[in-house]
Amino acid sequence: MITTITIFFPLLAAIVMGALPRTMDARAVRYTALGLAAVPLLLVLYIYLAHRGDLGAPTLTQDLDWIKSFGIGYRVGLDGLGFGMFFLSALLTLVAVVASWDVRENLKQYFAILFVAEVGMLGVFAAQDLILFYVFFEITLIPMYLLVGVWGDENRRPAAVKFFIYTFLGSTVMLAGFLALGILSGPNFSIEALAGGGLSRGAQVAIAAPILFGLLVKTPAVPLHSWLLDVYVSSPTSTNVVLSGILPKLGTYGLLKVALPLLPQGVEPYLPIIAALGVVNIIYGSFVAFMQPDLKALVAYSSIATLGFILLGAASGNALGINGAVLQQVTHGLYSALLFILVGVIAARTGTRNIRELGGLAASMPWAGALLTIGALAAMGMPGLAVFVSEFMTIMGGYVAFPIAGVLAALGIILSVMYLSYMVRRTVFGPIKRPEYEGVKDAGPVEMAATVPLAFLLVLLFFFPGLLVNVQRPAVELVLAAIGGS
Amino acid sequence: MFTAQTFVGLSPEIVAFLFSMVVLMVGVFVPNARGLVAGIAAFGAVATFVTAAVLLLSGFGGEFLGNAYVVDAFALYFKLIVAFSAFFAILAAIRWSGRTGDSPEYLTLILSVAVGAMLLVSMRDLFGLFVAIELATIPSYALVAFDRSRRESPEGGMKYLLTGVMASSILLYGIVLIYGASGSANLADVAETFTGSLSPVALMGLVLLISGFAFKLSAAPFHFWTPDAYQGAPTSAAAFLSVAPKAATFAILLRVLLEGMPDAAPTWTAVMAFLAVLTMFVGNLFALRQRNVRRMLAYSSVAHSGYILGAFAALRGAGVDTAVQAVLIYMAAYAVMNLGAFFVIDLVGEDGKSFNGLFKSRPGVAVCMGIFMAALVGIPPLSGFWGKAWVIFAGVEAASAATYIVVGALVINSVLSVPYYFGIIRNMFFEDPVTGDEGPKGTGLVLFSVYALAVATVVFGFFLGPLSALAERSGLL
Repeated sequence: MITTITIFFPLLAAIVMGALPRTMDARAVRYTALGLAAVPLLLVLYIYLAHRGDLGAPTLTQDLDWIKSFGIGYRVGLDGLGFGMFFLSALLTLVAVVASWDVRENLKQYFAILFVAEVGMLGVFAAQDLILFYVFFEITLIPMYLLVGVWGDENRRPAAVKFFIYTFLGSTVMLAGFLALGILSGPNFSIEALAGGGLSRGAQVAIAAPILFGLLVKTPAVPLHSWLLDVYVSSPTSTNVVLSGILPKLGTYGLLKVALPLLPQGVEPYLPIIAALGVVNIIYGSFVAFMQPDLKALVAYSSIATLGFILLGAASGNALGINGAVLQQVTHGLYSALLFILVGVIAARTGTRNIRELGGLAASMPWAGALLTIGALAAMGMPGLAVFVSEFMTIMGGYVAFPIAGVLAALGIILSVMYLSYMVRRTVFGPIKRPEYEGVKDAGPVEMAATVPLAFLLVLLFFFPGLLVNVQRPAVELVLAAIGGS
Repeated sequence: MFTAQTFVGLSPEIVAFLFSMVVLMVGVFVPNARGLVAGIAAFGAVATFVTAAVLLLSGFGGEFLGNAYVVDAFALYFKLIVAFSAFFAILAAIRWSGRTGDSPEYLTLILSVAVGAMLLVSMRDLFGLFVAIELATIPSYALVAFDRSRRESPEGGMKYLLTGVMASSILLYGIVLIYGASGSANLADVAETFTGSLSPVALMGLVLLISGFAFKLSAAPFHFWTPDAYQGAPTSAAAFLSVAPKAATFAILLRVLLEGMPDAAPTWTAVMAFLAVLTMFVGNLFALRQRNVRRMLAYSSVAHSGYILGAFAALRGAGVDTAVQAVLIYMAAYAVMNLGAFFVIDLVGEDGKSFNGLFKSRPGVAVCMGIFMAALVGIPPLSGFWGKAWVIFAGVEAASAATYIVVGALVINSVLSVPYYFGIIRNMFFEDPVTGDEGPKGTGLVLFSVYALAVATVVFGFFLGPLSALAERSGLL
């Protein structure tokens, strides 16, 4: 029950936001949204404190018949596989509310739509039924389309449309795979009941193809990534937080939660391809990031590169790799949200995102500069920050399964050091490029409130990765049991 | 031949017919009674709905008029859809028909179409079927041509009439050939003829029958009358005609094929698969080019006919039950979202540009239209998604090459339809309002209908359990 309440509380919040009086001033609207966004996070923290030990198989479940003749049910529950992202969805929505300073028009509607998206995000990571998973998966789509299309920059319209058509194509193809899987095995759509894969190898391979396609478009894996850049660059900062922090994980989580355990034999022939795509993401993302003059585009491509590690870890099929992938989903969300917010702050203060025009911001913006450096160090996978732990695990896991991919992924870290240190050097350090940068204000209390917790969590999870790894490990073991790995 | 039971079986039609006559008479004898007339008509639709619902819930069933007329859960289900859409069409019609002063005639015509459509779904005799189809179609010519203040209306009515008459003659020709081949017009007897390899006469009859139905259902390549008719028709009539007679025609086609020629399924499912794929692509590709929202919705209704025909392609082997269910659920889902989408035109305007900035000027209407558009695309958890999902269910269960092609085409077409439906959403949410040009405002009743249908579209998924159980009970087999 508490799972259902947590998932659907944001819907209530959205209705409340929509019903606020027109005359209410912006400040009061922001505080109301803040209060409403805090509730799911508190519920998730309570769940963590009370139930963190028993998140192997789904707990706190609810199972209601929905369409009996097809074995479709309203089945939700939390397990270690999804819990980290469940937590992060609640956290990053709150952060997005805090970081919404660049949204000035139609504030109420902005928050209402953001909360509707949160329903979908929370729901995906708690769904234990294929159809329900798909429904939540798609619920995020229109809100994101509207958030970008209404509140984004001048290029927002084509970006939003491209994003929508691309990802809708992916998910519709995926749906066909889901329906085939559910009907041929029963019909039954319970994720738990389908684990282990009862279908013949040929059927599994055929069904895995559309499902993997849909998930890889969402991630995005590199040849399918062309929707990403425009929409990331055009979004308002607070939408970026959710868009980069949560949405790609709908794809990777689907890989871990649905594709691997439900179609173990079907996915097997594709695993080398997924690992290869992961490496391509890492190398290609890094090189393209290197060439971006736009700070936001650089962060976007660095995000693509880091997502490659998740694909590699998931494809490894061993405990180390999958644990790393599950953890990397969370750490990637933390650091990419951090970087996007800081890029937003810098762009708002200096009026430009062009790296060549920036420089020497450390003098006037010490805090923002320091936090940007932390974010960049995290993105490089430096020890001291949690991304190191998860990337290391995925590389080791990947190396065991696919040695060449593992080596290339490790090389990718060197590439990321190159472009990220270049980015930090050109923006934060060095001579002050323009006289007007001397007077710019540092990150204020609101900006600090949005970013410091993210940086803190990155440090905390480096020293105590067990906080999450211990929660997810039993669930990962169930996945391994389903795929028959070790 | 007529017993009390017969009257019970015909009671929804009788109720609707009586009310249509009362509406007409009150219009003649009571001057300036627009409100009264509209109230009577709306109440008549509700009474019809309730009558059909009572029959359905009480498990009433039987065959009447010498086996030619059957009342079963399947027929009653579609009568409910017809009465439901008649009710909303009447609500939406009140302002418009009041303006021209022809209110009673207009509302009578809507109820007459409803009577024809409700009779149609119960027919088990091919000639009775033809009479019922004409009973539903002839008033609809008048409905389309009713708006004399717009040039498009009589023009659309004329085109609709000419193509409709042609379609009727093709259908009748097909029926006569089938009658000639089997010696009887009753579906039970026809079924005995359509076994083994078909005689040339029977095959010709089947082809003509399906072509006639394809005309009525605006399936490609027989769809060309649809945009003109829907563009010309008053909005409430276009909305009603795109749902009620269409639902009834799909229902009777299902009955004819399953009861009258089950053994010929391999032949006609192949034809249906072809028609379905063609219709989806034609509808969507032409809709992409439209700037006028009425025409866009007309082509969209062609595309949706294609999706529903996709379920017909799965009417064989293991897919039959689910395919019948798919048609039932799709039509209910389609009724709520399509009626709503049409009604919004009366609130905003028919030019795509008139939707610009609607989110800023009238957020409530914009959100409702957004819901209808997303539902027509098939975004879960809105109603349209469930219709499409059921067609895919049926296609996978039937598991033939043709149905897999249909499923593939359905997936591709769902994506293909995104630009035009979301073009409206883009206009409403992303663009700035056009100033100075005040569009139609609509009445409170239209607004009420739009809100009610939007809510129905959203919560449709919650009622899938009971609905699919009902659909299962309604199944023909």
